[in-house]
Amino acid sequence: MTVTESKPRYKYVGTRPVRHDGLEKVTGRARFAADLNLSGQLHGIVVRSPHAHARIVSIDTSKAEAMDGVKAVITGDDFPAVDPSNRNYDMCVNIMARHKVFYEGHAVAAVAASTRDQARAAAAAIEVAYEVLPAAMTIDEALAPGAPVLHDHMMTKGADPPATEPSNVSDITRFAAGDLDAGFAEADLVIEREYTTKPVHQGYIEPHACVADTGQDGHTTIWCSSQGHFNVRSSSAAMLGWENTRIRVIPAEIGGGFGGKTTIYLEPLAVALSAKAGRPVKMVMTRDEVFRATGPAPGTKLKVKLGARRDGTLVAGDAYLIYSGGAYAGSGGLLGAMTVFESYNIANFGVESLNVVVNTARSAAYRAPAAPLTAFAIETMLDEIATELGIDALDLRLANAVAEGDPSTMGFPFARIGFTECLEAVRDHPHYSAPLGPNQGRGLAAGYWFNIGESSSATVNLNEDGTATVVTGSPDIGGSRASMALMAAEELGIDPLDIRPVVGDTEAVGFTDVTEGSRATFATGMAVVEACRTMVAELRGRAAKMMGTDIDDIDWVDGQAVYTGSDGDKAPLSVAAICAKAKRTGGPLTATGSLEAHGAGPGFAVHLCDVEVDPETGVVRVVRYTASQDAGTAIHPSYVEGQIQGGVAQGVGWALNEEYIYDSDGVMENPGFLDYRVPVASDLPMIDAVIVEVPNPAHPYGVRGVGETGIVPPIPAVANAINDATGCRLRNLPMSPVRVLEAITANGGSDG
Amino acid sequence: MAVRVHLSSNLRGPAGGLAEIEAQGATVGALIEDLDRRHPGLGDALRSGVSVVIDGLLIAHPEYEPLADGALVYFVPQTAGG
Amino acid sequence: MSRVHVTCTINGDPAEFLCDGGQTLLDALRDEAGLTGAKEGCGTGDCGACSVVMDGRLLCSCLVLAPEAEGATISTVEGMAAGDDLHPLQQCFLEGAALQCGVCTPGFLVAAKALLDRNPDPTETEVRYGLAGNLCRCTGYDKIVRSVLAAAQTVNES
Repeated sequence: MTVTESKPRYKYVGTRPVRHDGLEKVTGRARFAADLNLSGQLHGIVVRSPHAHARIVSIDTSKAEAMDGVKAVITGDDFPAVDPSNRNYDMCVNIMARHKVFYEGHAVAAVAASTRDQARAAAAAIEVAYEVLPAAMTIDEALAPGAPVLHDHMMTKGADPPATEPSNVSDITRFAAGDLDAGFAEADLVIEREYTTKPVHQGYIEPHACVADTGQDGHTTIWCSSQGHFNVRSSSAAMLGWENTRIRVIPAEIGGGFGGKTTIYLEPLAVALSAKAGRPVKMVMTRDEVFRATGPAPGTKLKVKLGARRDGTLVAGDAYLIYSGGAYAGSGGLLGAMTVFESYNIANFGVESLNVVVNTARSAAYRAPAAPLTAFAIETMLDEIATELGIDALDLRLANAVAEGDPSTMGFPFARIGFTECLEAVRDHPHYSAPLGPNQGRGLAAGYWFNIGESSSATVNLNEDGTATVVTGSPDIGGSRASMALMAAEELGIDPLDIRPVVGDTEAVGFTDVTEGSRATFATGMAVVEACRTMVAELRGRAAKMMGTDIDDIDWVDGQAVYTGSDGDKAPLSVAAICAKAKRTGGPLTATGSLEAHGAGPGFAVHLCDVEVDPETGVVRVVRYTASQDAGTAIHPSYVEGQIQGGVAQGVGWALNEEYIYDSDGVMENPGFLDYRVPVASDLPMIDAVIVEVPNPAHPYGVRGVGETGIVPPIPAVANAINDATGCRLRNLPMSPVRVLEAITANGGSDG
Repeated sequence: MAVRVHLSSNLRGPAGGLAEIEAQGATVGALIEDLDRRHPGLGDALRSGVSVVIDGLLIAHPEYEPLADGALVYFVPQTAGG
Repeated sequence: MSRVHVTCTINGDPAEFLCDGGQTLLDALRDEAGLTGAKEGCGTGDCGACSVVMDGRLLCSCLVLAPEAEGATISTVEGMAAGDDLHPLQQCFLEGAALQCGVCTPGFLVAAKALLDRNPDPTETEVRYGLAGNLCRCTGYDKIVRSVLAAAQTVNES
């Protein structure tokens, strides 16, 4: 179902062709990083800390180095020293510990051997002596008086008065508007609530993997699975102390990322091992390593106070947000502060947010980082306010929703946005008024995400037969190649299936930022459009030559050069006809587009969730789900729906099941999909994705990013539905059967 | 160029808490230099990790962005994504 | 350590490979037989990305030792299409946009084929439980389930 504002009619944009990379993926031929093998390849294994916090006293690699098949062993000493003032410091010392380990699973050494078994045996023979330190595993432990301080250099940024001693608080962000006291004084209803959430993992099905081949000339080629191969290049170069030109990164297919593959873990280790051994080195993480050592999303503690007038107008909001970034400074606090009150007009607000370090794996981005948790707080509190004031929950949101011209938390007025349209789409959906069964409840929640622009490059090459190749630098996680082909088809006027969209390596296409922030179809799409428009100008010029006329007399209409001059009739020339004569009219037809994309359009989503709660077990089943989202313009609607549906599934898992569990020594207890339970097909119903299209004025086709916003509303939508079904307010994640049952039976309607 | 500057609330510390400032600059970079002269330390706060919004358009790396006379420039924290 | 010689049938063709006694069938398929369609997502039988059918039984090849394949008949995703003709499941996955990153897709296709072989006309619930051993983190399963139901219809109509 699509709800559309009036927009230009497109021939290809908005259609649903089979994706170009689909055939390889359904036949098992697509090459993911772990599928590559090179001649003479060694296997690399990482040695990881068994302790959550410890000083490295010594590392003895001599036994390992003497073992059969072992060709190289590396430790932190094999990389240039790095200083905390270096902006890559956290990344470098996270990839390979120096002097101290900060979480269980932190890499301390790596070994390359002829076989994986040999490498594993050698890794086990590396002797690391640790001085175990007390660990701070949670926000409370990290902030407690006398807590072990992880980083001696961590002086809280934004502290007032300025910090004079190191602490586990990396930074504090504050936003404010209006007069908070006056705002609350104006309120007829004030509620204050506290929430806690646990770290959760992105849970991509493909573990991190790479192959690095370093030659005697000191140049290396890396094949890897990442959300951004240019970032793999620069990050690896930074860690190795190399120039970018010594590293070529060839993107393999990527088996999911969701933000978790915007940073790197293995690649510089594989390069260093390969350089030392003089052989290609392949490294593939186990699932256990993925859980222990790669980016979970932060855990949080949130305290929010909201004030509303009797008529439902929100007049004051106060938020105190703490995000744990794992072992190094995270960005959750800032992003949480920027999202917590962003969806609603609240004249008086104050936000203070902290990023705190703890002895768990360094957190990484996860789809709309930080926003699902602030939405958990705000959207469940809005439900409480609606109930208390006797106002319909959707009407309450409509009355307070931000629209074009309203100020954002950061002060600027919103451009055209589609929040109201998303609310209306859900209100008008049959789901909204469908009857509920016994033990069932319905929850509504909204969500917001910024979306970003950044740098992108594209090259369009027309082939001799009139087909086209579109090369971009954006790894395709969820179907973006199909979107690139559709936009190019619309511009050039040729069938999208006559266009081959490919992801070029770091030496085949211009610099392109990471596929993150829902930017690929937005920003890289703009680069594709720019390249195509340059190409069309070139095609008009070539056609003018062929027709013996001036370029100004040639229009480009539906894939053809059409003569508009007054010198009689001239037959139109197709792309194929112009391509066939390219050698005689000026040579190969190639055009590039590269830009820094301005004007990323914010995305809003509104979800409606029905759950059924088993009163005897506390098990919550999602039985119906409808998700509206403003896509701006859906270039390939199937993959827009897919992004929304995938975000919902991840959000439902976050709401109900997923959490990192540590034992008393700070060792993760559930590093596998058996005990870290992500939703399976039988846990979910169909997810009705309602695409709302309020075009982004800054994009040639009106695209907003769609990748992230869909994960923001599910947690509060599920929580509100559980409340509707049981009368219980759950404010701690996950809302597991145990917690739900406790709330139903013991706690008088809440989970504590 | 006379320009109106709006600072998001987290950036107002070096500006003595001011939300709006009148300043001069033909580009955002020149504007930041002028702001730093008026409010020492504000330049450092605005040079990295900060985007601008001009005429509704979010610009992440605005140093050389030209400014029209009377423009309204919003300085806001840079966002990221997953 | 001497390696084990295994003779079996893979996707209808006789096949032989050498493997270590402790090597998984998944690793042998990928590293010895050169069939990288089956993926390792977990190595513990929880994600289904390594699904293959051995002697008529759907299983996680990461939980089978390679020497157990001696004399067995194995089907992998690489054997689903008949030459250029895609299996209806493959075609429906393409047309139904049932894949995003695609890394779980081979496992889902193999598991879905095993499901339809034993239950040619499944309900939505039967598809959901039939595929509950396969994890997908991208799609929310909606388009996968729809595509399997569509493929069942195609098979039954032909």
